[in-house]
Amino acid sequence: MKNKQLRRWLLILGPLVAAAVILWPTVDAYLLEQEESQALHQVLHGKDSTAFKAFENAKGERYRTAKMNRVKLGLDLRGGMYVMMEVAVDTLLRETAARETIDETFEAVMKATHAQAESSGDDYLDVFHANFDRIARPKGKSLISYFDVPGVQDVTDEKVKERLREDVDGAIDQALEVIRQRIDKFGVSEPNITKQGSRRIVLELPGVNNEKEMRQLLSTTARLEFKLVRNNADIVKALYRIDAYLAKSNGGSKTDTAIAAVDSTAKDSVKKDTTAVAAKSDKKKKDTSAVAADTSKKDTSKTASADSADPYKGLKDEEKAKRYQKDHELTSLIQVFPLDQEGRFISKDGNPSYFFNESQVPELEYVMYIPSKLYAKFMSILDRADIKKLIPSDLQLLRSAKPEFVSKDLKDTTFAMWCVLRNAELTGEYVTDARASSDPMTNLPVVMMEMDQEGAEKWADVTGKNIKKKVAIVLDDQVYSAPVVQNKIAGGSSQITGMDSPEEARLLEIVLKAGALKAPVKIVEERVVGPSLGEDSIRRGLMGMGIAFLLVVLFMGLYYSTAGMVANLAVILNVLLILAILTPLVISGGGTLTLPGIAGIILTIGMAVDANILVFERIREEMLRGRGFRNAVDEGFSKALSAIVDSNVTTFLTGLILFLLGTGPVQGFALTLMIGIVTTFFTAIVVSRAMIELMMSNGKEINFGQPTTMA
Amino acid sequence: MQLFSKTTIDFLSKRGTLVWVSLVLNVIGIVAPFALGLRFGIDFAGGTEIAVQLNAENKVAEIRAAVDEAKLIGAEIKSYGAANQYLIRIPATSYSQDPTSAVVSAIKEAFPGETVNLLKKDSIGPKVGEELRSKALLAVILAVIAIGIYIAFRFEFLYGVGAAIALLHDVLVTLAMVTVFSSLGIINLEINQAMIAAFLTVVGFSVNDTVIIFDRIRENRELHKGMNLIKLMNLSINETLSRTVNTVMTVVLVLFTLVLLGGEVLQGFAFTMLVGIVTGAYSSIYIASSFVVWFMEKIQHKGIQAEYDKQKAPAKA
Repeated sequence: MKNKQLRRWLLILGPLVAAAVILWPTVDAYLLEQEESQALHQVLHGKDSTAFKAFENAKGERYRTAKMNRVKLGLDLRGGMYVMMEVAVDTLLRETAARETIDETFEAVMKATHAQAESSGDDYLDVFHANFDRIARPKGKSLISYFDVPGVQDVTDEKVKERLREDVDGAIDQALEVIRQRIDKFGVSEPNITKQGSRRIVLELPGVNNEKEMRQLLSTTARLEFKLVRNNADIVKALYRIDAYLAKSNGGSKTDTAIAAVDSTAKDSVKKDTTAVAAKSDKKKKDTSAVAADTSKKDTSKTASADSADPYKGLKDEEKAKRYQKDHELTSLIQVFPLDQEGRFISKDGNPSYFFNESQVPELEYVMYIPSKLYAKFMSILDRADIKKLIPSDLQLLRSAKPEFVSKDLKDTTFAMWCVLRNAELTGEYVTDARASSDPMTNLPVVMMEMDQEGAEKWADVTGKNIKKKVAIVLDDQVYSAPVVQNKIAGGSSQITGMDSPEEARLLEIVLKAGALKAPVKIVEERVVGPSLGEDSIRRGLMGMGIAFLLVVLFMGLYYSTAGMVANLAVILNVLLILAILTPLVISGGGTLTLPGIAGIILTIGMAVDANILVFERIREEMLRGRGFRNAVDEGFSKALSAIVDSNVTTFLTGLILFLLGTGPVQGFALTLMIGIVTTFFTAIVVSRAMIELMMSNGKEINFGQPTTMA
Repeated sequence: MQLFSKTTIDFLSKRGTLVWVSLVLNVIGIVAPFALGLRFGIDFAGGTEIAVQLNAENKVAEIRAAVDEAKLIGAEIKSYGAANQYLIRIPATSYSQDPTSAVVSAIKEAFPGETVNLLKKDSIGPKVGEELRSKALLAVILAVIAIGIYIAFRFEFLYGVGAAIALLHDVLVTLAMVTVFSSLGIINLEINQAMIAAFLTVVGFSVNDTVIIFDRIRENRELHKGMNLIKLMNLSINETLSRTVNTVMTVVLVLFTLVLLGGEVLQGFAFTMLVGIVTGAYSSIYIASSFVVWFMEKIQHKGIQAEYDKQKAPAKA
């Protein structure tokens, strides 16, 4: 008997405690938020300048943890982020056109199209066709001069048009889908992702206040390509050729003071960054770690292959370095290390190699680094039209996505530079899956990559032809990894090793998965919106709900007396349970609490008491029939059960359909409705019964609000 | 407290007239959306909807002039919640680029020195709207079918059909009310996703009462073997009347409050559910069982009514 009592108490208090534990962070976060804003207020009004810092030190961590674990509110209740993304149709058109056919006429059409489409917002492809008709056709060109339609024999302009339309629509749909998946994985609940116009994607992300993280996530949903690495003498020579060109066009003298000023700052950065390189030892290049390099002091004549060719002979070291940098505007920005046959660093002292001109560059493989500060300058030089011509047109210089070296104070980073073949061997659309794991033998991180049939065939061909060569995995023109091809990979299943950490492997997995885009997507507009509904509207909604809740409580208390109050307690527990179940679901991306979601909870209150009403009415009825009190209670609970089950199953079914077919706020409503039905079952039948049993444990009768005079 | 003492209302005798009333309402439910036109919300119609808050109150006409000036054809402007909040809707066909900035600058031009506070913005492409629309329709149809199947499994097939017909009745009557009230302009009732959610909840919820009555009929059939079906149904409906009314009462309390106080967003939703759930209770009592009796009488020729009348006559005398 005592055991039974205990079990009943547990049934009532257990869920209550569990709900309280789960919901505590929500309350805590709210309280701490008040405290934080108060501290901030004190600082801003000059009352106590240390208040905020004190708060941060004492409770900052707790506040952040609480915030992470609290119930998240939807865009309509707390605002969120709004992002507009655009699919680059121009890139798609360029990619689709047969590369060797692209000529000035095509470029002219593209240029005109770009300008017009940007300003008017008209459909990009329509504008393209209009411009094509205007510019290219008079020159005797037709669409089939540039585009091919694979798998179709008599290719006509009409067919090309159809195909391009399909491609563009497909690219946008694909981008939409990839973004949707990424957002889902990120755990944004109730994201609103919609197409706008012909090439835009709008994201409404409730509760997302970490714009930066989201922007990063969205910009990684870009184009994945596999490109062959060509880090050989060709590119290094080309860079020295540019140096020579620049030196010549600058007159090789010190007339331009502005350039000199820029150069001296650049030199400083080089100095610092080289130290940074040396500061961090890298496993792959052990010999560099021992070096304390100082670029300005370095004797260039030492690295130059022939002393006789040294044009600065006889100058002081300092002056020499200055002159060298002046004459090598581009290459002095970067550090070039030649590699031997095995891929090891040749440089014994760990210093990068410097040459006087391209003829000195030996035919070797190279590694190149650039300090992140100098990257923009480097690229701005390379982007100049006159300089572009000096680089072989099939080559492209890209930087690594993550810095290779980071200085101790985290201020200076250095990226690796990769020279790759401009034309991708393969694009990410063939990648069907990627998964990071660790090699069971070595415990080192690996990434498994799967390709579809078509991709597998191409991949086998590419890898077969390039054994022992590097293939760069390029996302958004940034190199994430450049594994060496070990052997011909047939069957589409590749294993990528050599990552430094499981995190790196995980990043590569994301990159590979994100890559299935035909055309790059860029963020063109981004806003963080305040609560999308007026504060007033929210307040009124919540107030309406509060009053509704009170009315139901009042009705139950009046109509069913003591038992009604039991039902009311059960309903309060029910609401707590719904919120408690919703919290972890929300955190794992199940859905945010929206205004319709709250409506769902309130509706559940109305329906939760229904189950109690069914039971209580039945008990009253049984008492009317002359059953004893104890007996009537038992009968009431057991006989009402089937009706409760039936009615709840039907409502659950509609909730499920809503959840599956609905979007955004409707899903929030459906989710709370479904959770509410499950919890109602528990609270209205199990918990209320336990309470009633406890109350009548000593043979006491409780009031079900039945009329005192029975008919 | 008790609202109903033991009742003995002959519900089913009124079925003749009430079925006609219901039929008329159902026909309105089918015809009205075509005749009066449904007002689709932004998520189904597509376009852009912007809610702004100004300091100036009741300036709908002035804002309309300003937006017309910006050449946004077919833009609709109305007040939104408070007197200084306005809702501007621009159909998707009248712009090619996001019209928000055009609208905001047009308003700023018309009201110099005003701060235009953007409360919310919804932009939905026509294609997406169409997709959402067909999905919503599919959801309602699926829900009715799923519930019909469930009831058919739980009870006898004929009862399942009865429940499904009652559900269809509820949806159509609610649709009739929504269309009529909307076109009268009494309450802002747009067919949007929340409204579809309301319809589906009506479908899921109103079947509850039907289930409770059918459950009792099943129980009573065992208890009173050989009782005339109409008598049995009347008895069951009477016995469950108190709970039917009370369960509906609690939900109606909730919904009525939401209609009055729920604000712009929840008002239409709550109103639809309110109509649907009251209709659901009515149809559970009058339509679902009536269909079963009607089917047995007219299609299966069981002569239940005649038997009932015969039994009833001596009792009256």
